[in-house]
Parts: sequence; structure tokens; C-alpha cells
Amino acid sequence: MLINNYFEYHYIWHHSSKSLPLRYVFSAFWEGQEGSFILWSFWHVILGNLLIRSAKNWESTVMTVFTSVQIFLSSMILGVVIMDYKLGSNPFTLLLREHPQFQNNPLFSNPNYLEKLDGRGLNPLLQNYWMTIQPPTLFLGFASTLVPFAYAIAGLWKRDYQGWIKPVLPWTIFGVMILGIGILMGGAWAYEALSFGGFWAWDPVENASLVPWITFVGALHVMMVQKIRGNAAPTTFAMTIFTFVLVLYSSFLTRSGILGESSVHAFTDLGMYGHLLSYLVFFFGLGFVMFFINLKRFPKAEDDAFSSREFWMFIGTLVLALSAIHITIMTSKPVINLIFGTKMALDIGAQERFDIYHSFQIPVVIIITSMIAFAQFLKYKKSDGKAVMKKLTVASVLSLVVTGAIIYAFDYTNPYYILMLFTAIFAIFGNADYAIRILKGKINKAGSSIAHIGFALIMLGALLSTSKSIVISENNSTVDLASLGELKNNENILLYQNDTVQLHDYYVTFTGKRKEGVNIFYNVEYMKKVGDKFVTEFTLSPRIQLNPQMGNVAEPDTRHFWYKDIYTHVTYADLSMPEDTDPDKYGELATREMKVGESFFTSNFKYQLDSVYVNNKVALDSLNDSTRIEVVANFSITDKEGKTVKASPMYVIENMESGKIFTMPDELAETGVILSLNKIIPSENKYEISVREKNSVKKDFLVMKAIQFPMINILWIGCLFFMVGSIIAMINRMQANK
Amino acid sequence: MKKTHIIAIVIIAAAIGVITTSLSNASTYGNFAEAFENPNSKIQIVGYFYKEKELVYEPEIDPNLMSFYMTDKEGKECKVVLNQSKPQDFERSEEIVLKGKVVGDEFHATDMLMKCPSKYNDGSQQVYTD
Repeated sequence: MLINNYFEYHYIWHHSSKSLPLRYVFSAFWEGQEGSFILWSFWHVILGNLLIRSAKNWESTVMTVFTSVQIFLSSMILGVVIMDYKLGSNPFTLLLREHPQFQNNPLFSNPNYLEKLDGRGLNPLLQNYWMTIQPPTLFLGFASTLVPFAYAIAGLWKRDYQGWIKPVLPWTIFGVMILGIGILMGGAWAYEALSFGGFWAWDPVENASLVPWITFVGALHVMMVQKIRGNAAPTTFAMTIFTFVLVLYSSFLTRSGILGESSVHAFTDLGMYGHLLSYLVFFFGLGFVMFFINLKRFPKAEDDAFSSREFWMFIGTLVLALSAIHITIMTSKPVINLIFGTKMALDIGAQERFDIYHSFQIPVVIIITSMIAFAQFLKYKKSDGKAVMKKLTVASVLSLVVTGAIIYAFDYTNPYYILMLFTAIFAIFGNADYAIRILKGKINKAGSSIAHIGFALIMLGALLSTSKSIVISENNSTVDLASLGELKNNENILLYQNDTVQLHDYYVTFTGKRKEGVNIFYNVEYMKKVGDKFVTEFTLSPRIQLNPQMGNVAEPDTRHFWYKDIYTHVTYADLSMPEDTDPDKYGELATREMKVGESFFTSNFKYQLDSVYVNNKVALDSLNDSTRIEVVANFSITDKEGKTVKASPMYVIENMESGKIFTMPDELAETGVILSLNKIIPSENKYEISVREKNSVKKDFLVMKAIQFPMINILWIGCLFFMVGSIIAMINRMQANK
Repeated sequence: MKKTHIIAIVIIAAAIGVITTSLSNASTYGNFAEAFENPNSKIQIVGYFYKEKELVYEPEIDPNLMSFYMTDKEGKECKVVLNQSKPQDFERSEEIVLKGKVVGDEFHATDMLMKCPSKYNDGSQQVYTD
């Protein structure tokens, strides 16, 4: 229906249009809430079919849980009204029949209206290849949390606490990988195509997808312990159930409209608040009732030795769970407000968000990465402390050296950052060492080591690129910072066309703009000074996408080097094209009030009001009603080269009796300026002046922001390691199950 | 008591401590009246851009400063000085959230979040034809 442009259907009209290319038509499918529900349940169908083939004797119980989830999901798109309560939101409604606001539209009285009807089009912000691939990946990740959940419920049901672990392990690794990649893709999307100025902003919606991933990772690790030692049943069940419930909770947060005022990309309320809540409560209840019924039956666990691998895996899982709880509470402020009647705000300031989350999450990362580094060297049950220490020597010495080098190169002083730097590097070397020496480079066994290296690289890249990013467009030289007080943000810079401005290591020129379709590209040339010459290093073309229906969108452009990225984005610019304007016409009127001796600047000239006098000064006693009074303002207009011309606009009182007043503007055709004296404000000793400049003399400008991110490629390389490692580990587990 | 439990309790206690302190430091939602009562504390205000009064953004003078008038949910109007460049399509914003504090008789904001009606839902009832 979407592909064939059946715009009489409301959902299709709402999210698509005739001009939309096919790849974006897919995006249009999952732009809205209803479409994303269908996408979600589509993945459930795929996973469910694979499960039926592989689940063997677990099939009936696992599929019961599966189906009950599917019932809830499909009810979201039913849109049936039962006893005054609208259940779900049906995406297949017809424009004319069920949306009364369209009925009076004259278009529909035309019997051929179907041929003429076009859709609203996809939000330009989302017309991007990331929109085609990221949501399906993320939703596959969400969908894949259902498999372990279904197995866990089945395990509790059958009172088999051990048997479900083996078949569920590859599914869990798959889910951790896909969900992780989905989240990272979201970060890459924000970094490449949106003007957030970074890859992670701790936005509530981003958090909502991160939290289930964290608990999912925890669940995976206690599953391993349970598989080998059999003493982790309660933790394993709890973490698995939590993960799925958190997925539901995150969809409740993002879809119920409760976040509304604090997130850029929350869905709007479709009136499904109660429905979503019941979905959440049902499965939360199911999971925990099942858990507590079985609580007394779980096998009694003996105390783990301090030197055992499982002891540290437990602690790690606990830290992960706390990290998830912290993010959940911080993101759930609107929910807390609703329950307790408080008025806590979800912070909209980027710096404040960093402070809130990093104060907790950086220590978490430090603990987790250090455990990643040494826990692999420990054995299950008990290990020899001295032997482990010996094995760790190489990795720790190497890490100390590399950390020292980085501290020196990037000038780190913050002890938290230094500690995180060390533990992340330690985790990389520790796992590399483990894969090479202990596993002897056997690639099929090294999946987890590679994935752990990937995770550590991601943390290292995030740390370096975030803590040492520099807003190079920041201009501190011309402003007295102390006088600004709180308002000290100076991150955007104004560039006039063809003027060169120094930004950090670069000399930057705005050279012009070009229009292609709906996009206006602004060319920004980055140059380096070699001797006394400017040499162009690269040119960036950030753009503004014009969309009169949904609002214009700025898209950044980034230059990638192996060791850094230069990110540039237009924050404000003139959208008219020079070829569309007549150079001999005068532009917009600019009006301001000024005193004698004052001056002001436009993009081209400095205007100084030298003096004001009355032309024909008459003695007061001879003043009569027919006296003509001319007030003349003398201006000096100076251009960028220092050339000065004079202008003298007049304010004339023609006749005192009739009160006839007019202004005589002064037009300097050659310079391209019209000046007029509009008003005299005797009480303040001020004059109201207005200026118009010719389009030909008006200089184009742009306001932009540029950020340098060092070493961000480490993060992307980490993603690759994480993905490859997870795939190897998954295949390895699948083969083991055969 | 098992070692695992002792360590678990210690870690959880520390975490609860951190979470409660950061919750108690959270900034709050409010309106202009409350902001004027506590001129030194940061507050987040939800409201609407008041289109009838002047909006000043002069990038030639300062590309990082704009001023406009906003009415809060109670209908109180106040001049706002925002330390940001003017966002695309600011005039079309439906609802805005500002973070900042009162200085004199102005509200000085450091951050702004705006919601455009057309971006994620159907505020408009227009039908487009080609």
C-alpha cells in the first residue's frame, strides 16, 4: 500500500509522498508509532519461526509466552473502540471516513481526488540512509530480548533451571550484538547527520535503548556462570526477565508521551498510555510471580571463592545492574513526578546531562573495564593468585606505558579520566594477551576476547573524543568573558563571504553557496598557513534542507582524518540565493535609534552620526505657523577599505499649523545605500534612523559551529571488533549446541 | 553471611547514596512567577514563543545571542535572553522549554528545546496536492 502511494489511507498520507524514493518509503513505514509496532512484531514472527525449528522440546512453552507478547503487540494497531475506550491505533484508517477534519476539504468533492492526492512526505530530518537501517536493527535487538525471556519463563514453568541455558546462549549473544549495534548506529546517525554535535547526548530516548542492553549483557554473563557452575539461577532469571521488562518500559517511556517535554525524538501521545501500561504491568507481573513461586526451589548456592571467575562475574553483573538502575531513575523523572507529585526536570542542558550521568557511569566503566581485563585469567571455582598475577604482568606493563604516552600527548589531568584511560587500555591488552597466549590464537574460541576488546575500544574512543573535543569555532578573543556572566556560550561564529577567520589551527573562509534541489550547500574552506600563503586543506559543505511543510533542517559535514574529525554545521544562514535577487534592488529596512556621536555596523559599512542641525534656524519670536523647519543628520559611512562618504538625510516639518511632516531620505546610488531620518525623540535626545542597502553590496554570511573530535575512529573500530567478536562467539555456541 | 553478599550490600549502599544526592540536586520545572521568587536558582520553564512582540537576533553583533518574549503555561509573559544562535524555524515552534534563571527583569536562558508541531504529529490539517 505504501509503495503504491495509496494516500487515501491516513497513515500513508501522513508519512509518505509521491516524490519519496523507494528506500525512504521503507523508512516512512516505520516512522510512525503504528508502523514501528508492525516492524517489531514482524521481527518477532521471524525469530519465532526460527525458534520453532530449533526449540525442540522447549517449543510449546516458549511459544506460549511468545504468542502472548504478539497478542499485546497486535492489539496496539487494532484501533477498535470497546466501551468508549479506544484500544490501539489502527494505521489503516481512510482519510475521508475516519478523519473528520478532512471532510470539509474542497479537494474531496472532486470525484477524482485520489489521483490528485499526495502525501505529506517523510520528515526531512529522517530522509537519511540511517533511517533505513537503524530502526530495523534496533527493533530486531528489542525483539531478540523476547527469546531469552520466553525461555526463562518456560524454565520457571517447567522448574528446569538449567536446561534452558544452553539453547538460549546463542540467542542472547545475538541479541546483545544486534541491540548494541542498533544503539551504536543511532550514535553514528546522530553524529553524521544530525546537528547534535556529538554521538551520545544522554537523551531519554537514547537511554531507554541503552538500559536493556546493559542488563542484557549482565544476563549473558550470569548465564555463563549458571551453565558451568549451576549456582546462579536466581540472578540469571532476574536479569533475563528484567531485560525484557525494561524493553517494554522503554517503549512505554518513549511512546506514552510522558517524556514529551524533554526529548527531541519521543513519539507523540496516541492515547495509548493505559494500553502500553497494561502491556508493561502484565509481563512484569508474569515474570515476577513466576520468579517468586520458584524462589524457594532454586538450588542452594555455596559461597564463591574470592579468586574464582564467577565471583567477579557476579560483582560485574551487579555493577551493570546498578548502572542500569541509575540511568533508569534519572530518565524516569517524569514518572517519579507523576507518582510522588514532585516537579523534577529532565535536564535539557548538554553539560548538565554529562555531569549527571558521567559522575556515576565513569566509575562503572572503570570497574567494568578492569574486570574485563583480568577476569578471563581467573578460573571457575578457584584460581592460583600468584599465577594470575604473573600472567597479567605483560598486559599491565604495556598498558602503563601506553596510558602514560596518552596522558602526555593529550595533557590529561582529571584523575577519573586517567583511571578510565588505564583500565580501558588494560582491558584491550589483557584480552589480546589472553587470546594469543592462553587460547593460542584459536579464532573460534576468541569471540569473547575480541568482543571485549571492541567494548574497551569503544570506551577508549568515547573518552578521548569527548573529553578532548574542542569547539574550534569558539571565539574568546573579542569578548570580555567576565561581563557576560552566565551567558558565556560563544560557540557559534559569524563568517562573511570571502573573509578569512582563524579557527584554532585553521584559517576558514565561507566561499559561497549552491542550491541543489531542496538543499542549500554552504562551502566552507579550511586552510593552513604555509609561510605567508594560505593552502586549502579541505572544503566542507554543510547544508540546510528546505522543507516548507515540516521545517528546515541543518545537516553537518565532517572531514575525517585517521586521528581526528573536523565537524562543521550551519546554525544560521541567509536562505535566499543570490541568483534569485536583483542586485540593483534595495534589501530589507533596518531601523535603530541612536544619539549624536554614536555609530553602528552592518555587514558592509560603519555608520556614524556626526551631527544633527536645523537648517534654517529662525528666531523664536519670528516663528509662525507656516515656518518650514528642516532637521539634517550628517552621517559618515565607512566601508571595509576605510573609504568614507557622507550622507545627509532630512526630517522636514513643512507646516507647523497643518502638522505636515515628511522625511527626505538620502540615496547614495553609487555606494548602494539609502539612509533616512524617521523620527526625533527629544526626551531621550535620540534619533530614529533607518538604512537600506543594495543587494549587490550586501555581503552574504553564515553562522556556524565547528568541533574537533580527536581519535573518534577508535570508537568505530571498537564497534567492528565488538560485532565480529560477538558473531564468532555466537557461531561457537551454536556449534556447541549441535 | 557470604562474601558476595557483603560486597553487594556495600556497592548498593554507595549507589543509593549517589542516586539520592543527584536526584535532590535535580533542577525543577516551574513558571516565571517562581523564577522571579528565586532569582538565583536555575529553573526549566515550559511555554510558548510570543509572536506579537519583537524577536531580536543580530548575528553581525553577536551570533550567540537572541532575545524574544515567551509566555509560560500560566500566561505570564517575560522577556527572554537566550545564549544560543537562532534555531532553524524558531518562529514555527509550538512549545518551547527554556533553562536558565532570572537576571533583573529578564530571564537569561542557557539552553532551549523546541517542539515543532509538524515534525512528529499532525497539528496541521492541510492536504497537499501536486
